[in-house]
Amino acid sequence: MTRKTTLATVLCVASLLSTPIFAETVLRIDEVAVGELDPAKASDYADSILMFNVYDTLVIPQQGGPGHVAHLATSWESDGATYTFELRDDVKFQSGNSMTAADVVYSLERMQALGAGLSYLFTDVKAEAKSDTSVQFTLAQPYAPFVASLVRLPIVDMAFVKANSESEWGEEFLSANGAGTGAYGVKSHNPQEETVMTKSDSYFLGVPDVAPDTVRLRYGLEAATVRTLISQGEHDIASQWLPPEVIQALAKDGAQLLTESGTGAFYFKMNTTKAPLDDVNCRLALSHAFDYGTAVQMIAINDEVSAGSPASGAIPVGMYGANPADAVMARDMDKAKEYLDACKYDAADFNIEVSWIAEVPLEERFALLMQSNFTELGIKSEIKKLPWALFAEQVSKPENTPHISQLFVNAVTGDPDTLLYGMYHSSTPGTWQSPEYLSDAKVDEFLDAGRSAADDAGREEAYKALNARLMEIAPTIYGFDRQSVFAASNRVKVPALSDASQAFGLDGMGFSFRLMEMTE
Amino acid sequence: MIRALRILASNPLSLFGLLLVVLIVLVAILAPWIAPFPTHNGAVVDFAFANKAPGARNWMGTDLVGRDIFSRILYAYQISLTLGIVVLAIATPIGTVVGLIAGYSGGWLGTVLMRIVDVFLSIPPLVLAIAMMGVLEPTLTNAMLAVTVMWWPWYARLVYSVARSEREEGYVLAAEVIGANTAHITFREILPNCLPAIITKMTLDMGFVIIIASSLSFLGLGVQPPTPDLGSMVAEGARYLPDSWWLTVFPGLAILVAVFGFNLLGDGLRDVFGVDE
Repeated sequence: MTRKTTLATVLCVASLLSTPIFAETVLRIDEVAVGELDPAKASDYADSILMFNVYDTLVIPQQGGPGHVAHLATSWESDGATYTFELRDDVKFQSGNSMTAADVVYSLERMQALGAGLSYLFTDVKAEAKSDTSVQFTLAQPYAPFVASLVRLPIVDMAFVKANSESEWGEEFLSANGAGTGAYGVKSHNPQEETVMTKSDSYFLGVPDVAPDTVRLRYGLEAATVRTLISQGEHDIASQWLPPEVIQALAKDGAQLLTESGTGAFYFKMNTTKAPLDDVNCRLALSHAFDYGTAVQMIAINDEVSAGSPASGAIPVGMYGANPADAVMARDMDKAKEYLDACKYDAADFNIEVSWIAEVPLEERFALLMQSNFTELGIKSEIKKLPWALFAEQVSKPENTPHISQLFVNAVTGDPDTLLYGMYHSSTPGTWQSPEYLSDAKVDEFLDAGRSAADDAGREEAYKALNARLMEIAPTIYGFDRQSVFAASNRVKVPALSDASQAFGLDGMGFSFRLMEMTE
Repeated sequence: MIRALRILASNPLSLFGLLLVVLIVLVAILAPWIAPFPTHNGAVVDFAFANKAPGARNWMGTDLVGRDIFSRILYAYQISLTLGIVVLAIATPIGTVVGLIAGYSGGWLGTVLMRIVDVFLSIPPLVLAIAMMGVLEPTLTNAMLAVTVMWWPWYARLVYSVARSEREEGYVLAAEVIGANTAHITFREILPNCLPAIITKMTLDMGFVIIIASSLSFLGLGVQPPTPDLGSMVAEGARYLPDSWWLTVFPGLAILVAVFGFNLLGDGLRDVFGVDE
């Protein structure tokens, strides 16, 4: 052997030795606190990420198109009032217990009993186990998007919860531990700091080797921290709440941009119980004074990617009842002045509280934009910064709710009912989605018609009427239709967030870790 | 007076401090005339020029809504100086009176007053201010109030210790002997001898008050947008480091210059008055 080949052999062996073939892959992501792990209480984006990975649901959205496919179920049939689902018989919970129809019934009843989170989707449903692998849901009244809503019913391991908890619903246990069938199990969970999840060996669909072995979901990181961590290769996917400038800077440094579009919109919600916004003309004045064009410019990341598109009305483009995409909302100061003159309050007395969520820095700019827009109309306003936790508490009382709250709301099941009902129906006031405290008989009527209509045409008609009514009474300034943009390192490939044919059309589901690929 | 100026001038650092303070005060007063964009202290947005690096149009760049940072710093100095002056103008007399009474009278009244002062001093100043702002609405007036509440006890303690030693002096005893009343002795005899210490501390404190006020607004508890404030400018910009450094660096430097100036001047005054720490 010559010296050269010896050297080459040594180098070759050395490089083989130093390549960790079975190295554990870790995916690091972040979201806004609090991470709610209890399936009956989960509602926001961080919670959704936890739910879609630790738990499974009977159906999941079809990738790359409309509709839903069976997941824990194998098939279902319906006559409008009852839905019968056949379940897979090969699904094991992370505890090792087999999943049966009794678990489905328990999960639904638990959701209804606790009455928190997204339980409003399931108020009029009864479930009954017909056999171990068959479950029947009976609806008190027809609910067109029922199958869609099942993506929000995580199936909980009843036997495991009862074995680990004194109370019937095991609230304490489930707020700190996972009890699902999901592809990832909870290793540790601190709702303010971090949730660590690891790949489950017993997942019924199997988890590919390339999927991350461990996922660390951290809460409440500062934008500058995330920016630095990603540049140094110590973070993988940033939350969607980074300001556009930071996403731009990361993209310039070579980060990839992932997108998840839009079954939601960005709203400036007006408290309709507080003077002067209890007068419809005042609200219309503000909504006509808002500079929609500038708002859309502010969220552009680069020429190709933007965090949203112009709104055409109260309902995002692409949903039932939406106005055409080219009928964009625009500023009209003349009309704004007309409405202001018709308002029963004197403009000089206004002092509009414009709040913004401390964790979403971009909102401060919208607040300043509004303040400047309103000043042109001769209306005074003050800007108030609220941490998310404080905001969520304050909106529970109309008198504590600011005049204007800025919120991104999405259809939690992908269906317009779950976007609009929670925001505008008079029976659901005072949640973070409904700081408007709207109470309008016509809106209620159209919302009810939309969820009970027998066919697509009927739903389209109901939501069209709703859209028109919501434009007329303006409880909200409809900012823009939103698309989530995530800056990410190149260590991970996320087809569900980068390839339209793989996208789920349901917020948060793109973060199914089992479908991700770690490249190093 | 001339002797005082000579002592001050003999220390170039103190002179530099004086220069900085005079400059800051002038700049704050003249802000509406010298700011390149005088409207940018209010509810103005100009997204066409948002987040621009320092250049010919905007010497210190623009913020995220397109406002000129240089102009905003000039206006922010107005707020900082006003706050500092108002806080000291209220805190100093209160603290001085309490300190004089406690120091001259001694006895149970002195003990009670100074224990109250101790209670205030035992709480870290920023914590007390934050606690107060948590209860009150975040406005400039309330920020001044919160800082004042935490500031007067320091003057009470300072004046108390000076008054304690002065009351044993011959001139005080002489005044007592000729039958002067308590008010005359405390305010006409002892107070003038406390003034050098008070004035020195006030000058040094201007810097600290500016820092505390900036800390409050850094936490979102002080002056509310769109009013420019150095602390909140730093806080807003911090998220965009290191890319948009001008958002943080210039307001940060502005705080540094102000505090530095007042501290140097305070040190110089201490030499002039011969006050011991």
